[in-house]
Parts: sequence; C-alpha cells; structure tokens
Amino acid sequence: MPVVDVQPDELRRLTGHEDKSDEEFKDDLFALGLEFEGVTDDGAFQLEFGPDRLDRLSVEGVARSLRYQYGDARGVAVPKTNDSDWTIAVDESVPEERPYVTGAVVRGVDLDEAALDSLIQLQEKLHATMGRKRAKGAIGIHDLTMLKGEVLSEDASGNTITYTGIEPDGDTFVALDSDEELTPAEVLERHETGRKYADLVGEYERFPAIYDEIGLFSFPPVINGRRTEVSTDSRELFVELTGTDQWTIDRMCNIICYALAARGATIEDIKVQYEGGTVVKPDFEVETKRVSHDRIETVLGVELELDEVIDLFERSGLDADAELGDETVYEVSIPPYRVDVLHPLDLVDDVGRAYGFNELEPRYPDVGTVGQRHERSRLEDAARTSLVGLGFEDLLNFHMISEEENYERMDVEPGTATLGGGDPVSITEPYSEDYTMLRSWVLPSLTMVLENNTHRAYPQDLAEIGHVAHRDDDENTRVSEARHVAAVLARHDATYEDAKGRLAALCRDFDVELETPPTDHPSFISGRTAAVVIDGEEVGVVGELHPKVIVEHDLELPVAAFEFDLSALA
Amino acid sequence: MRLPESQVAVLNAASATDEQTIAQLAEETDLKPETVTGAVFDLRDDGLVSVTETVEEDIELTDEGVEYADDGLPEVRLYRAALDVDDGESVPMGQVIGASSLGGPQVDIALSNFARKGYGRIDSGELAPDADADPDSDEEAAALAALVAGDEVTADVLDQLESRNLVVRHERTIRAVTLTDEGVTALMEGVEAAETVDRLTPEMLTSGEWEDVEFTEYNVEADAPGVRGGKKHILRQTADRVKDVLVGMGFAEMEGPHADADFWINDCLFMPQDHPARTHWDRFALDVPPMEDIPEDLIDRVRSAHLNGVGDDGDGYHSPWSEDFARAVALRGHTTSLSMRYLSGHEVGELEPPQRYFSVEKVYRNDTLDPTHLLEFYQIEGWVMAEDLSVRDLMGTFEEFYSHFGITDIQFKPHYNPYTEPSFELFGRHPETGELIEIGNSGMFREEVLSPLGVECDVMAWGLALERLLMLMYGFDDIRDVHGTMCDLDLLRETEVLK
Repeated sequence: MPVVDVQPDELRRLTGHEDKSDEEFKDDLFALGLEFEGVTDDGAFQLEFGPDRLDRLSVEGVARSLRYQYGDARGVAVPKTNDSDWTIAVDESVPEERPYVTGAVVRGVDLDEAALDSLIQLQEKLHATMGRKRAKGAIGIHDLTMLKGEVLSEDASGNTITYTGIEPDGDTFVALDSDEELTPAEVLERHETGRKYADLVGEYERFPAIYDEIGLFSFPPVINGRRTEVSTDSRELFVELTGTDQWTIDRMCNIICYALAARGATIEDIKVQYEGGTVVKPDFEVETKRVSHDRIETVLGVELELDEVIDLFERSGLDADAELGDETVYEVSIPPYRVDVLHPLDLVDDVGRAYGFNELEPRYPDVGTVGQRHERSRLEDAARTSLVGLGFEDLLNFHMISEEENYERMDVEPGTATLGGGDPVSITEPYSEDYTMLRSWVLPSLTMVLENNTHRAYPQDLAEIGHVAHRDDDENTRVSEARHVAAVLARHDATYEDAKGRLAALCRDFDVELETPPTDHPSFISGRTAAVVIDGEEVGVVGELHPKVIVEHDLELPVAAFEFDLSALA
Repeated sequence: MRLPESQVAVLNAASATDEQTIAQLAEETDLKPETVTGAVFDLRDDGLVSVTETVEEDIELTDEGVEYADDGLPEVRLYRAALDVDDGESVPMGQVIGASSLGGPQVDIALSNFARKGYGRIDSGELAPDADADPDSDEEAAALAALVAGDEVTADVLDQLESRNLVVRHERTIRAVTLTDEGVTALMEGVEAAETVDRLTPEMLTSGEWEDVEFTEYNVEADAPGVRGGKKHILRQTADRVKDVLVGMGFAEMEGPHADADFWINDCLFMPQDHPARTHWDRFALDVPPMEDIPEDLIDRVRSAHLNGVGDDGDGYHSPWSEDFARAVALRGHTTSLSMRYLSGHEVGELEPPQRYFSVEKVYRNDTLDPTHLLEFYQIEGWVMAEDLSVRDLMGTFEEFYSHFGITDIQFKPHYNPYTEPSFELFGRHPETGELIEIGNSGMFREEVLSPLGVECDVMAWGLALERLLMLMYGFDDIRDVHGTMCDLDLLRETEVLK
C-alpha cells in the first residue's frame, strides 16, 4: 500500500487549522482511511492508505481531504486555467510503444524547501502507483525559463516543443546528476538512474525524446536533462508526461496541477498536436455519474434525508443535483483529480465515509441458510481422526517442494508410473530453490520432518493427509490434484508389519477391502513392498523404506511407511 | 488355610479368652491400626474372630473448666470476697466485685450462680452473703477437681458442668477382638501367610487365586513412564474450530482447484491485469499450457467489465486486457477464486439468494519467508449472498463470527480493494492483551465482479489468514515451528489442544 510522508506543520498551514495537535490529526486521518505508521527522521508523519485515492499522495492532497472533512471546503473545485502559448508537437517518429503525451504550464509557484520536497515526493509516488514504475506514465517537471520554444510557422503563435523518437545514439545531452554529454543509450549504461529504468525502453527501436529549439532536454521515461532542472528558485514550470495511456497520464497531470494550485500557482493550458488533431491539456473536465437515493439507503442500511445526502456528497468534494421523481436520483459531479470512481457505487462509498461507517449499528442479517461441510473435507477429517487414534502425530507440510526432495532424494524418477513419479507441476519463476514445484506425493515431506527431528524422542510415528499434484494435460487446469494419506513409523524395530497392520486398521474403519500384492518401488526395499489395493484398485504403496533413502536423510533407524489416495476410503 | 499376611498376624495375636482392642493388636503385630481394623473385619466375615463394640465416653475440660479448676468457680470467689468485705452484712456489689478481682463475662457468671447455689441474696445492688453457706462442699467445684484427678463423677453433676460449657464429652467406639472356636480350630490346623503379588494376572483371575493373594503397595505418587498419543495438528484444530463456527452460522463449504486460470483467480475479481499484485514477482505462475475450457460468454463479459465498466455510468480500467494472460495457470493467491467459481454457477449450478459459503484452504503468495509469513498459508474465506444487503449486515456478521474467538469491539476502517466497495479492514480487541489488531479484510463485491458472473443481488465477503488467527489466539511466535518440514516435533507433541 502507498505511504506518503506529511509534515504536520505543512498540514496545519495548508488546512488553516494552526491549532490542531498531532494527535488530533492522527485521529482525523484514520477516519479518512490514512493510517499513521510512524514518523520520519525529520518529523514527518508516515501515512499508509489504500491505493485508490492517489490524489492524497502529497501533503496538499491530504490537506484538501481534511478541509472537506472539516467542512472548510465543499463541492467540486476546478482551478481556473489561462491560455498559454505553449504547444507540444508529437512527431511521427515517436516510439509506437509510448505514443501519448500531456502537460501543463504552471506560473507563480513559490517553491520553498518543503514545497519542493512535496512535489518531488508526489512525482515519485505517482510513478510508483498509477505510473506502474514509469512504464504506464512518467512525469517530467522543468524550469520553464530554461526552455526556448520554437516558432514553427509564421502564423502559429507561441512556442512549440517536440515529442519525438531518436536513434539510441542519435543525440547527446547532460542528464540530471551528471556532468557528461551522453547519448540516451550511454545513459542506460553509465548513469545510475539510467541503469535502473533501462528495461523500460530496452526493446524500443527508437527512444522517446523531447526537444526545444536549443535541443534535446528530456529522455522520458528515464531522466530529464540538467538544463531545465527545477530548484527553489524556479517560479515557472513546464510539466510534461508521456505514457502508454492518455487517460492515465492526464489524471497524473491533474493531481500534480491540483497540488501546485493549492500553493497558489496558476495553471495554464497547453496544446498537444497529434497527427490526427490538436487537444487542449490539462483535461479538467468534470464528469458526472448518477446514483439513486434508494441505493444509498440500501447499501448503508439507514434512512437519509435528501438534504443530508447532498451535504454528505459536498463534504466528500463532490457536487450533487437531485432529480425528484418516482425514484430520486442524484447527478453527481466528480472532480478531475479523482482516479478511483469507476461506478456510481464508488460515490455511495464516499457518502458512507462522510457519514462515518463506524456510526452504523451492526445487525445480524435476517437470512436463513443451511450450513454444511464439503464431502471431501468430511472424509479427510474422518481419516485423520482414525490415524490419530492409531497413535500418529498429524502433520502439516508445504505443498511446494524442490525436485531434489520430491524425486532424487527418494530415488524416484520423474515421468514414471510409480507412486510419486508423476511429471512435475513446476513454478515458472521460483522464489527459492527449495520451492520449485508442487509435491507429487507426501512421503518426501514426512521423510524431511524425520530428518529435521533426529534429536527428538523415538518412536516417531507421523502421518499427513495432504494435497499432491502432477502435470496432466488432459485436465482443464493441466494439473491433476489429489489428497494422499501418508504415514511413517520410525523406530528401532520398525517392520513392514507395523505399517501394514495400521493400514489394515484404517481400512477396517472405512469398511473397504485391502489387498497387498507384492510390488516394487524405488524408495522401498524390494521383497518388502506391496501395492495398496483397495476394493480392487491399486491406489498406493506400503513397505519398508530402502536403506539408501534412510541414509540419504541422515536417519539411523528403520522406517516403515505407506501412502495412498484418500478417495479410496470414500 | 492361607490368609493374607496381615490377617495371619492378627489371628496369631488374638486370644480366645482375653479381649484385645485394635490398639493392642496393632502394637503387638506392629501393623498400622487401619490395617489391623481391615484384617479384623475380614476375619470376622470369615467367622474366625468375634468383635464386640463398646462406646466409650471421654470427658475433657474446656479452657474455661481448666481455669475454674485452678482458680475456683467465679461464684465461690464472689462469696469469699463478699465475706471478706463485711462479715454477714449486705455490702455494695461494686465493692465486692472489685475485691474478688473477677472481670468480664465472669461477673455475670458469678452473679447468676451465686443466688442459684444459695450463697446469698442479691437485692438492689447489694450482696448479702449467707454465712452458713459452705463453699468447700460445692459439688461442681469438687467434680472439676475430680475430673482433673481422673476420677469418676456423677452423671447429674456432669450434665450441670456440660451445660456451663466447662466440659465436653467425646464418644468413641472400642472394638475388642476374641478368637472364635473356628478361629482356634483354624490356628490349630495351621494358617499360612498368602504370597504378595506384584501384578494381577489373567491366570489369577480365572483360577480364583486372586482371593488368596495380597497386592504389594505401589508408590502411587511416583512418575509413570511417559505415554505419547497422536494428536491433530494445531492448525487443523484451529481450522476445525473455524469450520464449526461457520457451519453453525449457516455457511456451506466450498471446494476447488489450487492451480487455476488467472481468469478465475484475478480477472473475475476485477483485478486489473497491470495491478502490482499480478506481476510475475507476486504470483506463482505454473509451467503448464493455458486453460482451454473457460465459458466464452463469461470471458466476454469479464473483458467488457475491465475495458468498459458495468452499467450506463460505468468506466473500465485504462489498462490493456489480454485473454492469454487470463487463461494462464497459476497457484491461487486467494480462495476467492472458489467464490468466483461458485457465484458463476459453474460449480454447483445457478445460486438463488440467500446463500452463505466458506472455505478454509491453502493459498500461495510469493512473499518473503519470515516468522509470520509463509509462501503458502490457509485463508478463511466467507461470503453471504442476499437481496439488499447493507454494510450493517456485513458488520453484524463479523461481530458474530469474531465473538466466537473472544475478539470484541470490532472496528471498520474504510479501505480499498479492487473487487469490493465499500471495503473495510477489520480491527478488533485482542482478548488477552487488549490491543487493537487487524483481523481481516472485507467488503461488498463490486458490480463489475457480480454482473459478469450473472449475479443480480448483493454479495458481501471477507477473508483472513488462519495462521494469523492461530497466532493471535494461541500465541505462537514463529509459524514455521508448526507448519512445514522445519517443524519441531516436540512443540507439536506438547502443544495444548484447543478446547
């Protein structure tokens, strides 16, 4: 979940509540769904919240939400925009993987250290969340005074910069935190930030690049040039975003613009010239959705007055117009910094939060249903009870295992018809070499438990009823899943009879017929191994573990064991 | 004749002519009195001895009685003091009492017995001692002296002393034992001590030999050799508890595949395909071909929900949606895949409201292994389907569920999940420590989840890790000690069962 660092003093200043204590803020923030996680070294609150309200990734956004909560602000507010004379022209050579661009001009910013820190944090957090680590959207913020727009034609008023695509070594520039003139390809190799984001453009034939009249000044989504670096002296900014989805970068841009406007800056429109036409950005269009009064009451489980609902909408930073009729419906206006409203139900949630969900009285739903266990889990439970009655310690092991443990150390070959020899269900990108596949049988797990407990008292009679799987392309999931019953008896005098006697007792409990014709299994001693045949069907194996398996697991006493498919007891 | 050793000893010590008490026999045989008593009863039942029982009375002076035996009765002391003050004339009571050095309750005792026994008159606060009275022949004083000396006293006086709480009487039964003729005969014919045995054997029981043997005494306080039985795994016991509670609340159990298409695991849940939790690092993709059999119409509806949203005012995600990714098979990251399968009508047929379903089954998360996180763990998953469910119904259901585990004071923190709205993180008060702890995630399934599945009513759902409940309720520090092949057998063997 996202975490945003917020200086409580900034919060006091931006909300206008200079007298609020840190503790009061913490309570108010919790009510908004922002959980206090701790403080940073320089005293900022670390606030964690769900990744829906990404407009709260800065102190300005958090302060805005608090002002609505306190009733200091109501309804939808949209910053006024002036026309500017800046244009971004999108060249036809722009990389097809990253065709979209947006932006804004921001004037009259007063960037003290705190404001600059907040802007940088917002940029980073938006990259990490909506921007999908810059893959989907990347933000570049520049000092406008360092840009020189081109006048592309006599009659076109204003300044144009160009979003284009260049050869990886097609030009050079000095990147941030660097003194060298480097090509974009060299940045990916030699610059720390370049190496970090190299994978994003690694497959591109042409690299994204932004030019003004002076030359290349930004290499999105990797790094900006040093020329246009923003500092506390910057008073006018040029914001550009590139990405794979227009809506996403437009909303990211809106969140940045709202944060800067909250500090008194003025936002100016720019034009984006695509091949197919020109659009004006930033896109501050206020969208609407309709939700019925009845639905709000049903979801919250309380009766509400019309005025009350409108008040709750306004305190959520929304506007609502009621349309009276057989069914009262609200047309709700949604500010352009919101990225989480996909459905009218999301607006009901806002009403609930403003109302205070914890104000609602819980009630047990007056709905009658019949409870029951699943047949399979009842069977498993009954077999487990019988095993425990026979003196086995019931174990619970992981379903994931390594090929070495599942096959090699048990002396079993994958792809053989023997118990445990099924083809592996392998994990494509295993997290650890200990867990690379789903186990195809249970005895390897039990043998590992014996291996890890040689310092504990014997006899060790262990059993597990657990999940096993092997590759089977005839299954819809391509995986054949089953539950196996497995047991080991590790004791100085363990023999085949100890295992078979208990297996027979278990079968008697379930009134099934057990036969044990001789068989061979690589994990067991030849001549002391039998197939487990239940009601005429071969479902497992019983015998004495082979000394090489015992010694492989550092055990110093005989082990008798059995394993079979649980469904045979059904 | 063979008899148990103690009976042989008693028989030999007893006499046909002289009665002997139990105490005497115990001294003679060097056995404990209770052993002798037991042997005597057994011998009497066999007709070898006769027992006469007499009740004896022991008389004991109370503390007060002992005091009066030493210092004299209060009324006598009062009389003598009155005489000393003024010979034969009446004198003021206070003066006499002062001279007698009587104090406290003894004053009342002295006054009441003074008149009763004729030591004089009491009139208007004056004492008039009778000069002819003879304190030396006071019966009660004499009786106290006799009792101290161990002499007999008459029953009348004894009653009088008892009523004054100066003596108490104890009754005890004295058993006197004599040999019967049969006992004498048996002794003459010879009586041998039966052997003592260590173990009761089947042969003894069938032959009747048990009747003639005596069992050696064990040190019943000594430790017995350890016994170990099998036991259900503690996490299974916890799961059983949860299942009991949920079945009791009307929930039916779900069942389904651990390896499943991402479609069922995530796409049906309206998780955008570029959601961070769906990246290759967080999920366990399996190296198998994609799933072929997924209902085409369902795929179309789910795709449409992702791209365009649901309803007139709905918006989709601004993310690409690939059917190939949806068909890829992975280990489920939550058992909500089962809920999707059931709600879609593809597991147990179309479901009509109301319904309640649950599962307590394994899920797989590519997370860092540490004392509280495993790559695979059990998820408790539950949902309720009904017409017009509200947030209040959700709250009431959770309050009920968690109360069975002692967790109260449930708080609902508004939260965000891609698949529910409203959503809540659940917090509750720990029954032991009183801390507010996170106990689950919940919400009402979104329209974008339900509508493609063909569900037209409301569904509320919640999830919680079973291991978390175990650790909260039963205080394990490191979940790896009990779950997995690194488990400690001793810990499992010694863990207390759930009650």
